[in-house]
Amino acid sequence: MATTKKRVLVIDDEPAVVTYLRTLLSDNGYDTLSADNGRTGFLTAQKEKPDLVCLDITMPEESGIRFYRNLRDDPALAKTPVVVVTAVTGIGGDPEPFRHFLSTRRQVPPPEGFISKPIDRGEFLRVVATALAGPVRA
Amino acid sequence: MSSTVATEDVRNWIHSELWNQVPVAIGVIDDGYRVVEANPGFARFFGEWRARPCYAVFKDRTERCDRCGAAATFADGKARVREERGVRDDGSAITYLVQLVPLTLQDGTIPYVIEMCTDITATKVLEQEKLEAERLAAVGQTVAGLAHGIKNVIMGLEGGVYVVRSGMQRGDSDRILQGWEMVEENIDRISSFVKEFLDFARGRAPQVRLCSPDAVAQKVFDLFRDAARLGGVELTLTLGGTTTAMLDEDGVHTALANLVSNAVDACQVSERRGGHVKLSTRDERGALILEVEDDGVGMDAEIRRQVFTNFFSTKGLQKGTGLGLLTTRKIAQEHGGRVSFESTEGAGSVFRLVFPRDRLPKQSETGEALQEASHGAA
Repeated sequence: MATTKKRVLVIDDEPAVVTYLRTLLSDNGYDTLSADNGRTGFLTAQKEKPDLVCLDITMPEESGIRFYRNLRDDPALAKTPVVVVTAVTGIGGDPEPFRHFLSTRRQVPPPEGFISKPIDRGEFLRVVATALAGPVRA
Repeated sequence: MSSTVATEDVRNWIHSELWNQVPVAIGVIDDGYRVVEANPGFARFFGEWRARPCYAVFKDRTERCDRCGAAATFADGKARVREERGVRDDGSAITYLVQLVPLTLQDGTIPYVIEMCTDITATKVLEQEKLEAERLAAVGQTVAGLAHGIKNVIMGLEGGVYVVRSGMQRGDSDRILQGWEMVEENIDRISSFVKEFLDFARGRAPQVRLCSPDAVAQKVFDLFRDAARLGGVELTLTLGGTTTAMLDEDGVHTALANLVSNAVDACQVSERRGGHVKLSTRDERGALILEVEDDGVGMDAEIRRQVFTNFFSTKGLQKGTGLGLLTTRKIAQEHGGRVSFESTEGAGSVFRLVFPRDRLPKQSETGEALQEASHGAA
Protein backbone atom coordinates (compact mmCIF):
# COMPACT_ATOMS: atom_id res chain seq x y z
CA MET A 1 0.00 0.00 0.00
CA ALA A 2 1.27 3.40 -0.93
CA THR A 3 1.49 5.76 1.95
CA THR A 4 1.75 8.91 -0.20
CA LYS A 5 -0.77 10.23 -2.68
CA LYS A 6 -0.35 9.05 -6.25
CA ARG A 7 0.50 11.78 -8.70
CA VAL A 8 -1.35 12.05 -12.00
CA LEU A 9 -0.18 14.16 -14.96
CA VAL A 10 -3.10 15.48 -17.04
CA ILE A 11 -2.15 16.45 -20.61
CA ASP A 12 -4.85 18.26 -22.59
CA ASP A 13 -4.89 21.48 -24.60
CA GLU A 14 -8.33 22.46 -23.33
CA PRO A 15 -8.16 24.34 -20.02
CA ALA A 16 -11.70 23.22 -19.13
CA VAL A 17 -10.74 19.57 -19.46
CA VAL A 18 -7.58 20.08 -17.40
CA THR A 19 -9.51 21.86 -14.63
CA TYR A 20 -12.23 19.20 -14.71
CA LEU A 21 -9.88 16.22 -14.50
CA ARG A 22 -7.59 17.84 -11.92
CA THR A 23 -10.55 18.77 -9.70
CA LEU A 24 -12.07 15.31 -10.07
CA LEU A 25 -8.78 13.59 -9.31
CA SER A 26 -7.90 15.79 -6.34
CA ASP A 27 -11.42 15.31 -4.91
CA ASN A 28 -10.63 11.59 -5.04
CA GLY A 29 -7.31 11.68 -3.29
CA TYR A 30 -4.76 12.19 -6.05
CA ASP A 31 -2.13 14.85 -6.49
CA THR A 32 -2.19 16.37 -9.95
CA LEU A 33 0.05 18.08 -12.48
CA SER A 34 -0.85 19.33 -15.93
CA ALA A 35 0.51 20.30 -19.33
CA ASP A 36 -1.26 21.69 -22.40
CA ASN A 37 0.60 19.80 -25.12
CA GLY A 38 2.66 16.70 -25.74
CA ARG A 39 6.00 18.48 -25.73
CA THR A 40 5.68 20.29 -22.38
CA GLY A 41 3.89 17.19 -21.10
CA PHE A 42 6.93 15.06 -21.88
CA LEU A 43 9.29 17.53 -20.16
CA THR A 44 7.02 17.53 -17.11
CA ALA A 45 6.92 13.73 -17.10
CA GLN A 46 10.73 13.50 -17.27
CA LYS A 47 11.09 15.97 -14.43
CA GLU A 48 8.27 14.87 -12.15
CA LYS A 49 8.01 11.11 -12.84
CA PRO A 50 4.21 10.95 -12.36
CA ASP A 51 2.57 7.68 -11.33
CA LEU A 52 0.08 7.91 -14.20
CA VAL A 53 -0.62 10.06 -17.25
CA CYS A 54 -4.07 11.09 -18.51
CA LEU A 55 -3.50 11.84 -22.18
CA ASP A 56 -5.50 13.69 -24.81
CA ILE A 57 -4.76 12.83 -28.45
CA THR A 58 -5.49 15.85 -30.64
CA MET A 59 -3.45 18.75 -29.36
CA PRO A 60 -1.43 21.53 -31.00
CA GLU A 61 2.36 21.55 -30.86
CA GLU A 62 2.71 17.87 -30.27
CA SER A 63 -0.04 15.30 -30.30
CA GLY A 64 -0.77 12.64 -27.75
CA ILE A 65 0.29 9.94 -30.19
CA ARG A 66 3.82 11.26 -30.39
CA PHE A 67 3.92 11.81 -26.62
CA TYR A 68 2.84 8.21 -26.13
CA ARG A 69 5.61 6.85 -28.35
CA ASN A 70 8.21 9.07 -26.72
CA LEU A 71 7.10 7.91 -23.28
CA ARG A 72 7.31 4.25 -24.23
CA ASP A 73 10.75 4.83 -25.78
CA ASP A 74 12.15 6.46 -22.62
CA PRO A 75 13.54 3.78 -20.28
CA ALA A 76 12.86 5.93 -17.19
CA LEU A 77 9.19 6.48 -18.14
CA ALA A 78 8.27 3.45 -20.27
CA LYS A 79 6.40 1.71 -17.45
CA THR A 80 4.27 4.74 -16.50
CA PRO A 81 0.63 3.75 -17.00
CA VAL A 82 -1.28 5.90 -19.49
CA VAL A 83 -5.03 6.50 -19.67
CA VAL A 84 -6.01 8.01 -23.01
CA VAL A 85 -8.91 10.45 -22.67
CA THR A 86 -10.07 11.49 -26.12
CA ALA A 87 -13.03 12.37 -28.29
CA VAL A 88 -11.36 10.52 -31.18
CA THR A 89 -13.14 7.19 -31.36
CA GLY A 90 -14.36 4.74 -33.93
CA ILE A 91 -17.91 4.54 -35.20
CA GLY A 92 -20.44 4.79 -32.38
CA GLY A 93 -17.73 5.75 -29.90
CA ASP A 94 -16.09 2.35 -30.08
CA PRO A 95 -12.57 2.86 -28.71
CA GLU A 96 -11.24 -0.45 -30.06
CA PRO A 97 -10.07 0.74 -33.50
CA PHE A 98 -8.16 3.55 -31.91
CA ARG A 99 -6.60 1.42 -29.20
CA HIS A 100 -5.57 -0.96 -31.97
CA PHE A 101 -4.13 1.91 -33.99
CA LEU A 102 -2.07 3.12 -31.06
CA SER A 103 -0.63 -0.30 -30.32
CA THR A 104 0.09 -1.41 -33.88
CA ARG A 105 2.12 1.65 -34.67
CA ARG A 106 5.77 0.95 -34.11
CA GLN A 107 4.95 -2.07 -31.97
CA VAL A 108 4.29 -0.07 -28.81
CA PRO A 109 2.09 -1.80 -26.23
CA PRO A 110 -1.46 -0.45 -25.90
CA PRO A 111 -2.26 2.15 -23.23
CA GLU A 112 -3.51 0.83 -19.88
CA GLY A 113 -6.80 2.67 -20.17
CA PHE A 114 -8.95 4.27 -22.78
CA ILE A 115 -11.78 6.68 -21.96
CA SER A 116 -14.03 8.46 -24.47
CA LYS A 117 -14.94 12.11 -24.00
CA PRO A 118 -17.29 13.13 -22.54
CA ILE A 119 -16.20 10.91 -19.65
CA ASP A 120 -18.23 8.77 -17.30
CA ARG A 121 -16.73 9.89 -13.96
CA GLY A 122 -17.15 6.54 -12.21
CA GLU A 123 -15.60 4.67 -15.10
CA PHE A 124 -12.76 7.17 -15.36
CA LEU A 125 -11.86 6.83 -11.68
CA ARG A 126 -12.09 3.04 -11.86
CA VAL A 127 -9.80 2.92 -14.91
CA VAL A 128 -7.28 5.24 -13.23
CA ALA A 129 -7.31 3.18 -10.02
CA THR A 130 -6.95 -0.09 -11.94
CA ALA A 131 -4.10 1.24 -14.05
CA LEU A 132 -2.28 2.42 -10.92
CA ALA A 133 -2.82 -0.83 -9.04
CA GLY A 134 -2.25 -3.14 -12.00
CA PRO A 135 0.70 -5.46 -12.36
CA VAL A 136 3.86 -3.92 -13.64
CA ARG A 137 3.86 -4.59 -17.36
CA ALA A 138 5.76 -7.66 -18.43
CA MET B 1 -5.25 -1.52 -109.64
CA SER B 2 -6.52 -3.45 -106.69
CA SER B 3 -5.66 -0.54 -104.43
CA THR B 4 -7.87 1.72 -106.53
CA VAL B 5 -10.73 -0.72 -106.12
CA ALA B 6 -10.12 -0.82 -102.39
CA THR B 7 -10.15 2.96 -102.23
CA GLU B 8 -13.38 3.01 -104.16
CA ASP B 9 -14.86 0.47 -101.75
CA VAL B 10 -13.78 2.54 -98.83
CA ARG B 11 -15.31 5.64 -100.35
CA ASN B 12 -18.55 3.84 -100.94
CA TRP B 13 -18.52 2.52 -97.44
CA ILE B 14 -17.86 5.95 -96.03
CA HIS B 15 -20.72 7.40 -98.00
CA SER B 16 -23.27 4.67 -97.49
CA GLU B 17 -22.39 3.38 -94.04
CA LEU B 18 -20.37 5.89 -92.04
CA TRP B 19 -22.42 8.89 -93.13
CA ASN B 20 -25.61 7.00 -92.42
CA GLN B 21 -24.67 5.27 -89.21
CA VAL B 22 -22.25 7.47 -87.33
CA PRO B 23 -23.88 8.40 -84.00
CA VAL B 24 -23.20 12.07 -84.67
CA ALA B 25 -25.54 14.57 -86.27
CA ILE B 26 -23.76 16.14 -89.25
CA GLY B 27 -25.25 19.10 -91.06
CA VAL B 28 -23.91 21.39 -93.76
CA ILE B 29 -24.91 25.03 -93.44
CA ASP B 30 -24.55 27.58 -96.21
CA ASP B 31 -23.77 31.24 -95.75
CA GLY B 32 -27.48 32.01 -95.75
CA TYR B 33 -27.76 29.85 -92.57
CA ARG B 34 -29.78 27.18 -94.35
CA VAL B 35 -29.17 23.51 -93.74
CA VAL B 36 -28.38 22.21 -97.22
CA GLU B 37 -27.23 18.67 -96.45
CA ALA B 38 -27.41 16.42 -93.43
CA ASN B 39 -26.97 12.79 -92.46
CA PRO B 40 -29.75 10.60 -91.06
CA GLY B 41 -28.34 11.13 -87.57
CA PHE B 42 -29.02 14.82 -87.98
CA ALA B 43 -32.67 14.19 -88.76
CA ARG B 44 -32.95 11.88 -85.74
CA PHE B 45 -31.36 14.57 -83.57
CA PHE B 46 -33.10 17.69 -84.85
CA GLY B 47 -36.08 16.52 -86.89
CA GLU B 48 -37.02 17.91 -90.28
CA TRP B 49 -34.30 20.18 -91.65
CA ARG B 50 -34.93 20.50 -95.34
CA ALA B 51 -35.40 24.10 -96.47
CA ARG B 52 -35.21 25.40 -92.90
CA PRO B 53 -32.69 27.87 -91.44
CA CYS B 54 -30.27 26.46 -88.90
CA TYR B 55 -31.55 28.59 -86.01
CA ALA B 56 -35.04 27.19 -86.56
CA VAL B 57 -33.75 23.62 -86.74
CA PHE B 58 -31.41 23.89 -83.74
CA LYS B 59 -33.16 26.32 -81.48
CA ASP B 60 -36.73 26.78 -82.71
CA ARG B 61 -35.89 30.43 -83.25
CA THR B 62 -37.28 32.76 -85.86
CA GLU B 63 -34.09 34.75 -86.23
CA ARG B 64 -30.35 34.21 -85.90
CA CYS B 65 -28.84 33.45 -82.47
CA ASP B 66 -27.10 36.28 -80.60
CA ARG B 67 -23.77 34.52 -80.39
CA CYS B 68 -23.87 32.44 -83.54
CA GLY B 69 -20.95 30.02 -83.75
CA ALA B 70 -21.48 29.40 -87.46
CA ALA B 71 -21.31 33.14 -88.19
CA ALA B 72 -18.06 33.34 -86.26
CA THR B 73 -16.59 30.43 -88.21
CA PHE B 74 -17.75 31.92 -91.54
CA ALA B 75 -15.99 35.14 -90.48
CA ASP B 76 -12.66 33.83 -89.22
CA GLY B 77 -12.39 30.40 -90.84
CA LYS B 78 -11.61 28.76 -87.50
CA ALA B 79 -13.04 25.50 -86.22
CA ARG B 80 -14.74 25.78 -82.85
CA VAL B 81 -16.16 23.47 -80.22
CA ARG B 82 -18.69 24.20 -77.56
CA GLU B 83 -21.25 22.65 -75.33
CA GLU B 84 -24.93 23.33 -75.82
CA ARG B 85 -28.03 22.44 -73.95
CA GLY B 86 -31.39 21.75 -75.42
CA VAL B 87 -34.67 20.01 -74.79
CA ARG B 88 -35.86 16.91 -76.60
CA ASP B 89 -39.40 16.67 -77.95
CA ASP B 90 -40.37 14.70 -74.84
CA GLY B 91 -39.19 17.60 -72.68
CA SER B 92 -36.06 15.92 -71.33
CA ALA B 93 -32.82 17.90 -71.22
CA ILE B 94 -29.98 17.08 -73.55
CA THR B 95 -26.36 18.21 -73.55
CA TYR B 96 -24.47 18.02 -76.79
CA LEU B 97 -21.06 18.94 -78.06
CA VAL B 98 -21.10 21.10 -81.18
CA GLN B 99 -18.10 21.13 -83.50
CA LEU B 100 -18.09 23.72 -86.25
CA VAL B 101 -15.68 23.16 -89.12
CA PRO B 102 -15.35 25.54 -92.09
CA LEU B 103 -15.31 24.16 -95.61
CA THR B 104 -12.69 26.50 -97.05
CA LEU B 105 -12.08 26.76 -100.81
CA GLN B 106 -8.70 27.45 -102.36
CA ASP B 107 -9.53 31.13 -102.86
CA GLY B 108 -10.18 31.40 -99.13
CA THR B 109 -13.92 31.75 -99.35
CA ILE B 110 -16.07 29.70 -97.01
CA PRO B 111 -19.30 28.62 -98.68
CA TYR B 112 -20.26 26.10 -96.01
CA VAL B 113 -19.78 25.31 -92.37
CA ILE B 114 -20.13 21.72 -91.24
CA GLU B 115 -21.83 21.35 -87.89
CA MET B 116 -21.34 18.09 -86.00
CA CYS B 117 -23.35 17.43 -82.86
CA THR B 118 -22.58 14.64 -80.41
CA ASP B 119 -24.97 13.73 -77.62
CA ILE B 120 -22.94 13.82 -74.38
CA THR B 121 -25.92 13.81 -71.99
CA ALA B 122 -24.86 10.52 -70.38
CA THR B 123 -21.32 11.79 -69.81
CA LYS B 124 -22.61 15.02 -68.31
CA VAL B 125 -24.93 13.12 -65.98
CA LEU B 126 -21.98 11.04 -64.77
CA GLU B 127 -19.92 14.18 -64.29
CA GLN B 128 -22.71 15.77 -62.23
CA GLU B 129 -23.05 12.60 -60.17
CA LYS B 130 -19.33 12.55 -59.50
CA LEU B 131 -19.36 16.17 -58.33
CA GLU B 132 -22.36 15.42 -56.14
CA ALA B 133 -20.64 12.35 -54.66
CA GLU B 134 -17.56 14.43 -53.84
CA ARG B 135 -19.76 17.02 -52.19
CA LEU B 136 -21.58 14.39 -50.11
CA ALA B 137 -18.28 12.86 -49.03
CA ALA B 138 -17.15 16.26 -47.77
CA VAL B 139 -20.43 16.70 -45.86
CA GLY B 140 -20.06 13.22 -44.34
CA GLN B 141 -16.59 13.99 -43.07
CA THR B 142 -17.86 17.25 -41.64
CA VAL B 143 -20.71 15.60 -39.77
CA ALA B 144 -18.25 13.12 -38.24
CA GLY B 145 -16.09 16.09 -37.30
CA LEU B 146 -19.06 17.88 -35.79
CA ALA B 147 -19.69 14.93 -33.48
CA HIS B 148 -16.08 15.17 -32.31
CA GLY B 149 -16.43 18.89 -31.64
CA ILE B 150 -19.68 18.41 -29.73
CA LYS B 151 -18.14 15.72 -27.53
CA ASN B 152 -15.45 18.17 -26.47
CA VAL B 153 -18.03 20.84 -25.65
CA ILE B 154 -20.10 18.38 -23.60
CA MET B 155 -16.96 17.36 -21.74
CA GLY B 156 -16.29 21.04 -20.96
CA LEU B 157 -19.85 21.65 -19.80
CA GLU B 158 -19.94 18.54 -17.60
CA GLY B 159 -16.58 19.54 -16.21
CA GLY B 160 -17.83 23.02 -15.38
CA VAL B 161 -20.92 21.63 -13.66
CA TYR B 162 -18.79 19.17 -11.69
CA VAL B 163 -16.35 21.87 -10.57
CA VAL B 164 -19.23 24.17 -9.49
CA ARG B 165 -20.82 21.38 -7.44
CA SER B 166 -17.49 20.35 -5.95
CA GLY B 167 -16.91 24.01 -4.97
CA MET B 168 -20.38 24.26 -3.43
CA GLN B 169 -19.85 21.09 -1.37
CA ARG B 170 -16.60 22.50 -0.04
CA GLY B 171 -17.82 26.06 0.35
CA ASP B 172 -14.98 27.07 -1.97
CA SER B 173 -16.16 30.18 -3.83
CA ASP B 174 -13.04 30.37 -6.02
CA ARG B 175 -13.73 26.88 -7.25
CA ILE B 176 -17.39 27.72 -7.91
CA LEU B 177 -16.32 30.72 -9.97
CA GLN B 178 -13.80 28.64 -11.87
CA GLY B 179 -16.44 26.05 -12.72
CA TRP B 180 -18.93 28.69 -13.72
CA GLU B 181 -16.40 30.20 -16.15
CA MET B 182 -15.96 26.77 -17.71
CA VAL B 183 -19.72 26.56 -18.25
CA GLU B 184 -19.87 30.03 -19.81
CA GLU B 185 -16.90 29.40 -22.05
CA ASN B 186 -18.39 26.21 -23.42
CA ILE B 187 -21.75 27.84 -24.03
CA ASP B 188 -19.88 30.43 -26.13
CA ARG B 189 -18.21 27.59 -27.98
CA ILE B 190 -21.54 25.99 -28.82
CA SER B 191 -22.75 29.31 -30.22
CA SER B 192 -19.75 29.77 -32.46
CA PHE B 193 -19.84 26.11 -33.53
CA VAL B 194 -23.45 26.36 -34.55
CA LYS B 195 -22.89 29.58 -36.42
CA GLU B 196 -19.91 28.26 -38.33
CA PHE B 197 -21.57 24.96 -38.99
CA LEU B 198 -24.62 26.66 -40.43
CA ASP B 199 -22.35 28.75 -42.62
CA PHE B 200 -20.77 25.54 -43.79
CA ALA B 201 -23.89 23.44 -44.22
CA ARG B 202 -26.10 26.11 -45.73
CA GLY B 203 -27.49 24.60 -48.89
CA ARG B 204 -27.09 27.88 -50.74
CA ALA B 205 -26.79 27.36 -54.48
CA PRO B 206 -23.54 28.98 -55.58
CA GLN B 207 -24.27 32.29 -57.33
CA VAL B 208 -22.14 31.65 -60.35
CA ARG B 209 -21.36 34.37 -62.83
CA LEU B 210 -18.54 35.51 -65.03
CA CYS B 211 -16.03 37.33 -62.86
CA SER B 212 -12.36 38.18 -62.65
CA PRO B 213 -10.28 35.97 -60.34
CA ASP B 214 -7.74 38.79 -60.10
CA ALA B 215 -10.45 41.14 -58.82
CA VAL B 216 -11.43 38.62 -56.12
CA ALA B 217 -7.80 38.27 -55.06
CA GLN B 218 -7.46 42.06 -54.97
CA LYS B 219 -10.49 42.33 -52.67
CA VAL B 220 -9.13 39.69 -50.29
CA PHE B 221 -5.76 41.46 -50.32
CA ASP B 222 -7.39 44.81 -49.52
CA LEU B 223 -9.33 43.18 -46.70
CA PHE B 224 -6.28 41.68 -44.97
CA ARG B 225 -3.36 43.95 -45.78
CA ASP B 226 -3.71 46.41 -42.90
CA ALA B 227 -4.67 43.86 -40.27
CA ALA B 228 -1.74 41.65 -41.31
CA ARG B 229 0.70 44.57 -41.10
CA LEU B 230 -0.58 45.46 -37.62
CA GLY B 231 0.15 41.86 -36.66
CA GLY B 232 3.69 42.17 -38.01
CA VAL B 233 3.02 40.17 -41.19
CA GLU B 234 3.68 41.54 -44.65
CA LEU B 235 1.03 40.57 -47.19
CA THR B 236 1.89 40.95 -50.88
CA LEU B 237 -0.20 40.43 -54.00
CA THR B 238 0.91 39.26 -57.46
CA LEU B 239 -1.82 39.21 -60.08
CA GLY B 240 -1.23 36.85 -62.98
CA GLY B 241 -3.62 38.53 -65.40
CA THR B 242 -5.99 35.58 -65.24
CA THR B 243 -8.92 35.65 -67.63
CA THR B 244 -12.49 35.78 -66.41
CA ALA B 245 -14.10 32.59 -65.18
CA MET B 246 -17.51 31.35 -64.12
CA LEU B 247 -17.21 31.54 -60.34
CA ASP B 248 -19.29 32.00 -57.22
CA GLU B 249 -17.52 35.23 -56.35
CA ASP B 250 -18.61 35.33 -52.70
CA GLY B 251 -17.66 31.69 -52.24
CA VAL B 252 -14.22 32.06 -53.77
CA HIS B 253 -13.71 35.21 -51.70
CA THR B 254 -14.54 33.22 -48.54
CA ALA B 255 -12.25 30.36 -49.55
CA LEU B 256 -9.32 32.63 -50.35
CA ALA B 257 -9.89 34.75 -47.24
CA ASN B 258 -9.75 31.55 -45.13
CA LEU B 259 -6.40 30.64 -46.66
CA VAL B 260 -4.97 34.13 -46.15
CA SER B 261 -6.25 34.24 -42.57
CA ASN B 262 -4.63 30.85 -41.86
CA ALA B 263 -1.36 32.00 -43.43
CA VAL B 264 -1.26 35.16 -41.32
CA ASP B 265 -1.98 33.08 -38.20
CA ALA B 266 0.78 30.64 -39.17
CA CYS B 267 3.25 33.54 -39.35
CA GLN B 268 2.11 35.01 -36.05
CA VAL B 269 2.62 31.80 -34.09
CA SER B 270 6.02 31.25 -35.70
CA GLU B 271 9.02 31.90 -33.51
CA ARG B 272 10.56 34.01 -36.26
CA ARG B 273 9.50 37.63 -36.40
CA GLY B 274 8.09 39.44 -39.40
CA GLY B 275 6.37 36.81 -41.50
CA HIS B 276 5.49 37.08 -45.18
CA VAL B 277 2.34 35.98 -46.94
CA LYS B 278 2.28 35.99 -50.74
CA LEU B 279 -1.09 35.95 -52.43
CA SER B 280 -0.98 35.29 -56.17
CA THR B 281 -3.09 34.24 -59.15
CA ARG B 282 -2.15 32.49 -62.36
CA ASP B 283 -3.27 30.16 -65.12
CA GLU B 284 -1.33 26.95 -65.38
CA ARG B 285 -1.98 23.92 -67.58
CA GLY B 286 -5.63 24.72 -68.13
CA ALA B 287 -6.32 25.47 -64.48
CA LEU B 288 -6.97 28.71 -62.67
CA ILE B 289 -4.82 28.83 -59.55
CA LEU B 290 -5.17 31.11 -56.52
CA GLU B 291 -2.19 30.60 -54.25
CA VAL B 292 -1.33 31.65 -50.71
CA GLU B 293 2.23 31.08 -49.56
CA ASP B 294 3.55 31.82 -46.09
CA ASP B 295 6.83 31.45 -44.25
CA GLY B 296 5.13 30.72 -40.94
CA VAL B 297 5.30 27.68 -38.68
CA GLY B 298 4.48 25.10 -41.33
CA MET B 299 3.08 21.70 -40.47
CA ASP B 300 4.65 18.38 -39.60
CA ALA B 301 3.48 15.13 -41.17
CA GLU B 302 0.95 14.47 -38.43
CA ILE B 303 -0.76 17.84 -38.79
CA ARG B 304 -0.62 17.62 -42.60
CA ARG B 305 -2.63 14.41 -42.38
CA GLN B 306 -5.32 16.06 -40.30
CA VAL B 307 -5.67 19.27 -42.26
CA PHE B 308 -9.08 18.49 -43.72
CA THR B 309 -10.47 16.35 -40.92
CA ASN B 310 -12.45 16.36 -37.76
CA PHE B 311 -12.84 19.97 -36.76
CA PHE B 312 -9.12 19.82 -36.40
CA SER B 313 -7.61 23.04 -35.20
CA THR B 314 -4.18 23.85 -33.84
CA LYS B 315 -5.21 27.37 -32.97
CA GLY B 316 -6.61 26.68 -29.54
CA LEU B 317 -10.06 27.43 -28.23
CA GLN B 318 -10.29 31.11 -28.94
CA LYS B 319 -9.39 31.11 -32.61
CA GLY B 320 -10.27 27.94 -34.38
CA THR B 321 -13.24 25.66 -34.77
CA GLY B 322 -11.46 23.70 -37.49
CA LEU B 323 -14.11 24.48 -40.09
CA GLY B 324 -12.21 27.00 -42.20
CA LEU B 325 -10.40 24.57 -44.47
CA LEU B 326 -13.42 22.29 -44.73
CA THR B 327 -15.46 25.25 -45.94
CA THR B 328 -12.68 26.21 -48.32
CA ARG B 329 -12.56 22.70 -49.74
CA LYS B 330 -16.32 22.56 -50.09
CA ILE B 331 -16.32 25.79 -52.09
CA ALA B 332 -13.50 24.53 -54.32
CA GLN B 333 -15.39 21.29 -54.94
CA GLU B 334 -18.54 23.16 -55.86
CA HIS B 335 -16.51 24.61 -58.72
CA GLY B 336 -15.13 21.21 -59.71
CA GLY B 337 -11.84 22.27 -58.15
CA ARG B 338 -9.71 21.24 -55.20
CA VAL B 339 -7.44 22.57 -52.49
CA SER B 340 -3.83 21.42 -52.67
CA PHE B 341 -1.03 22.23 -50.26
CA GLU B 342 2.58 21.64 -49.41
CA SER B 343 4.08 22.36 -46.04
CA THR B 344 7.36 22.04 -44.26
CA GLU B 345 7.56 22.23 -40.50
CA GLY B 346 9.34 25.40 -39.49
CA ALA B 347 9.55 26.75 -43.05
CA GLY B 348 5.99 27.53 -44.09
CA SER B 349 3.08 26.35 -46.19
CA VAL B 350 1.62 26.87 -49.64
CA PHE B 351 -2.10 26.42 -50.13
CA ARG B 352 -3.70 26.56 -53.58
CA LEU B 353 -7.22 26.74 -54.87
CA VAL B 354 -6.99 24.83 -58.15
CA PHE B 355 -9.88 25.22 -60.59
CA PRO B 356 -9.49 23.21 -63.81
CA ARG B 357 -11.18 25.50 -66.28
CA ASP B 358 -12.92 22.67 -68.14
CA ARG B 359 -14.67 21.67 -64.90
CA LEU B 360 -15.87 25.14 -63.98
CA PRO B 361 -19.58 25.84 -64.38
CA LYS B 362 -20.30 26.44 -68.06
CA GLN B 363 -21.63 29.51 -69.75
CA SER B 364 -24.50 29.16 -72.16
CA GLU B 365 -24.93 30.90 -75.46
CA THR B 366 -26.92 33.64 -73.79
CA GLY B 367 -24.30 34.16 -71.12
CA GLU B 368 -26.23 32.44 -68.35
CA ALA B 369 -24.59 29.89 -66.13
CA LEU B 370 -25.45 26.32 -66.96
CA GLN B 371 -25.67 24.74 -63.58
CA GLU B 372 -28.51 22.37 -63.17
CA ALA B 373 -29.43 19.45 -65.35
CA SER B 374 -33.06 20.57 -65.41
CA HIS B 375 -32.22 23.73 -67.31
CA GLY B 376 -32.97 23.69 -70.98
CA ALA B 377 -31.36 26.07 -73.43
CA ALA B 378 -34.52 26.66 -75.43
